[in-house]
Amino acid sequence: MSSTYNSVETWKEFEANELTHSAAHHLLAIDEVGAEYGGWARVSDIAKDLAITRGSVSINLRTLKKRGLIVTDEHRMVKLTPKGLEIVHHVKLKKAAFKTFLTDVLGVSVAQAEIDSCKIEHLISHETSDRLAHFMENYKPAKLR
Amino acid sequence: MKPKPQTEIVDELNRLMAEEVEAFLRYFQLRYRLRGTDLLIADKFIKAAMEETQEHAAEIAGKIRILGHTPKLDIKLSLGGGPIKLQEALAEALDFERQALDAYREFLPHVAGDPMLEDFIRKQIAVETEHVQEIAMFLE
Repeated sequence: MSSTYNSVETWKEFEANELTHSAAHHLLAIDEVGAEYGGWARVSDIAKDLAITRGSVSINLRTLKKRGLIVTDEHRMVKLTPKGLEIVHHVKLKKAAFKTFLTDVLGVSVAQAEIDSCKIEHLISHETSDRLAHFMENYKPAKLR
Repeated sequence: MKPKPQTEIVDELNRLMAEEVEAFLRYFQLRYRLRGTDLLIADKFIKAAMEETQEHAAEIAGKIRILGHTPKLDIKLSLGGGPIKLQEALAEALDFERQALDAYREFLPHVAGDPMLEDFIRKQIAVETEHVQEIAMFLE
């Protein structure tokens, strides 16, 4: 990284993130809600899961559909595409790695770690999260060493 | 279908009211995103839709009050975006209007037998169905 790569550039990179935090939450909600129904989720259930209106969900889904992350059927049911599933998989991995780091290494409460890992997950690269996951696999608490 | 407890009915009415208020705000924003002839064509329709959604929200709030509760408006909305073509604006409107219609339809079985709410929801379904058909016709 060059010395000119300052905090402003980092912020621009964050802004240019391929998926907004809101979009990531929509994909996670579809994955969760649809788990019991072969991956298909109803807009009403997604809305309840995200605590927003159905109208908002339907508008946000338009963007996800255009980007090939979801498909819809004639009953307006929603399902993740393989590309959408891949993103959900990465988001979950990043979140889990950070949550474990926060609870096991820093001793943060589970509830707070859940909130913070959700925020951090969106800001970091795949490389950093992979390294953190690798670190956590080999990490042993001091009392066990 | 087993009737829902009144608190759940009120929660559902609050959600329906939020759908209507959000729809009003979306129409408001869409009106300023349309330009030129697109705006001229759609302006009357959008103004009518804004009035209608506002009226619906107020009617739902009234029903909540009759049930002895205070309406609770819970919306999380930030609207932006640049100029938009009429076709795209109507497609968006069709999406959120269909969701409102679905919400009323799904709610109906839970108020079956309730003289005040069943009639009201049936009337809303009729109005929303007409509205959805109108937008769909515009898009054809």
